[in-house]
Amino acid sequence: MKAAVVGCGAVGARVARQLLAMATVDEVVLYDSAGERALAVARALGDNARVEDGGPDELPPVDVAVLATPAQSQLQWAKSAVRRGISVVSLTDAIEDVQLLLGLAGAARAAGVSVVVGAGFCPGLTCVLARFAAERFDVVDEIHVAKSGTGGPACARQHHRALSGAALDWRDNAWVRRPGGSGRELLWFPEPVAARDCYRAALADALLLVPSFPHATRITSRLSATRRDRMTARFPMLRPPHPEGRTGAVRVELRGRREGTHDVSVVGVTERTAVGAAAVAATAAAWSVAGRFPAGASGLAAIVEPRAFLTDLMDRGIRISSFDGRPRREV
Amino acid sequence: MPRPVLTIVRRALAALGLAGLVAAGLRIRGTGGVPPQSGGWRELTKADIES
Repeated sequence: MKAAVVGCGAVGARVARQLLAMATVDEVVLYDSAGERALAVARALGDNARVEDGGPDELPPVDVAVLATPAQSQLQWAKSAVRRGISVVSLTDAIEDVQLLLGLAGAARAAGVSVVVGAGFCPGLTCVLARFAAERFDVVDEIHVAKSGTGGPACARQHHRALSGAALDWRDNAWVRRPGGSGRELLWFPEPVAARDCYRAALADALLLVPSFPHATRITSRLSATRRDRMTARFPMLRPPHPEGRTGAVRVELRGRREGTHDVSVVGVTERTAVGAAAVAATAAAWSVAGRFPAGASGLAAIVEPRAFLTDLMDRGIRISSFDGRPRREV
Repeated sequence: MPRPVLTIVRRALAALGLAGLVAAGLRIRGTGGVPPQSGGWRELTKADIES
């Protein structure tokens, strides 16, 4: 199998590495607007990685294209890949990108390829966790997603934009836009991230989860942020973002009914954000090439078999936790 | 300083002192303790995922 990775930042470089670690991957073709960065990644990855110049129209015949570029730069790559009969895995977490990529569903079905939208840490892993936790319930009433941490600089910029944008929540079977940075809630993530103040933000999780949970009346997403993040969100970033964020986390809380009683389930993951996102994208790419996703465009929640996907992620070192509320006794 | 102003200042200081005493009493008697700061998460095994 041959794969293209577009964007060689903190996440893209790790996706390429994870793909090359698979026995089924023969070659990875790297693209990046900064050619030197792609060359450096290719040198680090060895002989099976090569760099190509050019834009979306020069995409070579590969089996899958993983798009790890900043927000608002993925649509042309995805369109070009679908035209060439190449499956796409997109790591975008911007609402506008997700809407545009989901709009490729008809073209993807006609071309017989899958376009997996939002296959990163959040959305992506959160969608799989929601599907996994939902198997405990007869009916899911509410899903609340939260994320802490960022990957590379592009992810940090998107975090900044998301806090000043409008959050898109599903409430009482209708879309509701609320101001980003509002609705503070103290949420517990798996250690070592632990308790963080989280706020509404322009996140795409609800958009990807609603089609898979038609009975849910509330689907919301929140982002952890500091007071300084909130205060400066409406201004340009005053400092360049860090090369890579530290340990991040996601948590997904489901409320629903099981055997006639109300129940709550909370699952989460702590991992370096870029590593977690890359593991999800690389696994999605492998599944896509193996024909385990139907043709069309959708988020992972709509197409994934969650237990098998999570097992594959665990093989890549991702640790999944469940909140049961019992403090661990130190031995 | 006129006498009415002094009276107001004296009463304000007395009120502040009294409020401080009440707050200190409540603070000392309130023994809620520190809530748990961590724990409650259990790492899932492959068997947990598959079952």
